[in-house]
Amino acid sequence: MGVRDEATDGEVVRAVLAGNVERYAVLVGRYRDRYARYAARMLGSRDAAEDAVQDALVRAFDHLADCRDPDKFAGWLFLILRNRCFAERRRRTREGRSLELADEAFAAPDRPDGNVEQAESARALEQALGHLTSQQRDVFVLKHVEGLPYDEIAQLTGATVASLKMRMHRAYDRLRELLKEHL
Amino acid sequence: MTILRLALVALVAAAFPRVLAGQADVAAQLRGRASPEVIRAVQSIAATTAARGLPVDPLIQKAIEGGAKHVPADRVVAAVRALAAQLDAAAGALRDGGIGAPGADVVEGAAYALNAGLSARQVQDLARVSRAPYDPGLTLRVAATLAALGVPPKKTLELVQGMIKAGRTPGDLVDLPTEVQTSVAEGATPAQAAEGLARGLAHAPGRQPDFTPPGQAKPHPHKP
Amino acid sequence: MSPGYHPYHPLVKRLLDGELSLAELPPELRAEGEQALRLTGAVDRTPVPLSAALDARVMETVRRHAASPARRAWRWFTAPRVVELRVRVRPWTVWAGALAAAAAVVVLINRAPVSPVPASVTGSPARAGSGDSVYVRFVLYAPGAKRVALAGTFNQWDENAAPLVPAGTSGVWTTTLPVPVGQHQYAFVVDGKWWVADPAAPAVDDGFGRRNSVVAVTARGVRTL
Repeated sequence: MGVRDEATDGEVVRAVLAGNVERYAVLVGRYRDRYARYAARMLGSRDAAEDAVQDALVRAFDHLADCRDPDKFAGWLFLILRNRCFAERRRRTREGRSLELADEAFAAPDRPDGNVEQAESARALEQALGHLTSQQRDVFVLKHVEGLPYDEIAQLTGATVASLKMRMHRAYDRLRELLKEHL
Repeated sequence: MTILRLALVALVAAAFPRVLAGQADVAAQLRGRASPEVIRAVQSIAATTAARGLPVDPLIQKAIEGGAKHVPADRVVAAVRALAAQLDAAAGALRDGGIGAPGADVVEGAAYALNAGLSARQVQDLARVSRAPYDPGLTLRVAATLAALGVPPKKTLELVQGMIKAGRTPGDLVDLPTEVQTSVAEGATPAQAAEGLARGLAHAPGRQPDFTPPGQAKPHPHKP
Repeated sequence: MSPGYHPYHPLVKRLLDGELSLAELPPELRAEGEQALRLTGAVDRTPVPLSAALDARVMETVRRHAASPARRAWRWFTAPRVVELRVRVRPWTVWAGALAAAAAVVVLINRAPVSPVPASVTGSPARAGSGDSVYVRFVLYAPGAKRVALAGTFNQWDENAAPLVPAGTSGVWTTTLPVPVGQHQYAFVVDGKWWVADPAAPAVDDGFGRRNSVVAVTARGVRTL
């Protein structure tokens, strides 16, 4: 897939819906990495993130006819992925597996510029994130990893800014408690 | 048919035994579990209810429950009468919603919905949107359970109707109460949980978020 | 929360939210503010590369789905989502101060043997009931109670039919019984006189001024419905 496709998301969606299935590859290429970090931080590992992104892209295709505004494909896809992450966490909780993160933390070792102490902190925080509820983790990642302001997160997720702040502030306190030896 | 659909059919064809409205049956089921006064009253109410083609078993169960809870006879009778009225209202709402001859399960589902706080009008609306593959009994039970979990009736309707309009499966509908409970366990109110689910529907009616994809946002304020 | 729990000061939280700068904090909060910033600053923001084969895998699946409309209809039942399932484990909830009505937890066991349920919660494998019943385990946290029973539409509201037994000394009472397929109302009876519903389960008016809990049992297990 060497040629860069300049069509807008909306144009590609419409082409796919019109029957040109192969054009979907353009959207896959555009978005496969963009939400990988979010998924990885929500689920605690790159492998889980890859599964989630793959599922979300397939599901988006299956439901493409239901995308109400094809030009807003990106946001719509994100919501599908987000739901998938939440569902995965619920599934793990049911199976009693929600806290298995330690071995999968992939922060730091791959970073060319990291130092050991930074790596340690990142790993500790990653583990601590696993102890937050899905909603707390979601708002923390969107704000502090993805850098979105509260009102965008609110628009994106349908929560109110007030409830997002409430979750976030609980998350801050919980993280402080979990990380007290590292601070 | 998949296993899931079979399960749903099993649920809808719920296992409450169908009880004939014969007086003898009512008395037989209530003997030793309710006072003679209650038995007489329930027989009479049951006869009228059966004559309208409505299920009688819920009335008997309610009388047994009242006896077990040591509720005074007059309050038991009042509760049974209220339940009979609710079944009647349920059948009426279903008729207005286009279901002329509802089965006992659907009537009981509608009565459950009314008991959980939905209005007759809301029951009617739900009946109306529940065309195949959606079974109205199931739709109503899902809505009733959401209301019973504390989701306000209006939001309950929005969510259930939204799911149906979006073409979600009956299986997805059945999952709704558990999803709400999970959100509530994570700190949301029932209303917020329902709203979140409705908006999180990839194809919910209503506005799409105006979205700046992650990765393209302004630089993080605390980046060193 | 554990003893020694120290929530961040509200102004420090606003600092973390990006609404204040460190310089705007009162001097006595600066140290706490710096500590808090170190915490959020530790988060790893490096992009996460997914494998190069992802595109091909997605497109392969997409082509398959596109080619077969009938398959698309069945995706709901084969996709790795929450369709199967049905072992739902509720966390213990303790409501300080309330009486035995504190918390009722219903632990639901799927009929077919499935992936293991945490042993600390059930301690026993799932068992199928006979005919159209599924074994369901009910649990109530009632530390002050002398006896606890379960009554509902599945046992004619007979409080003698299904007594719970204490599970150890933790104040937890439990019983397991076969419940027929269908929708049921139930409540716990504590010390023969208090009728207690599950505060977290769907609750309906019982017509007598109290509330009943509702549970649905399907051929595949139990669910909140």
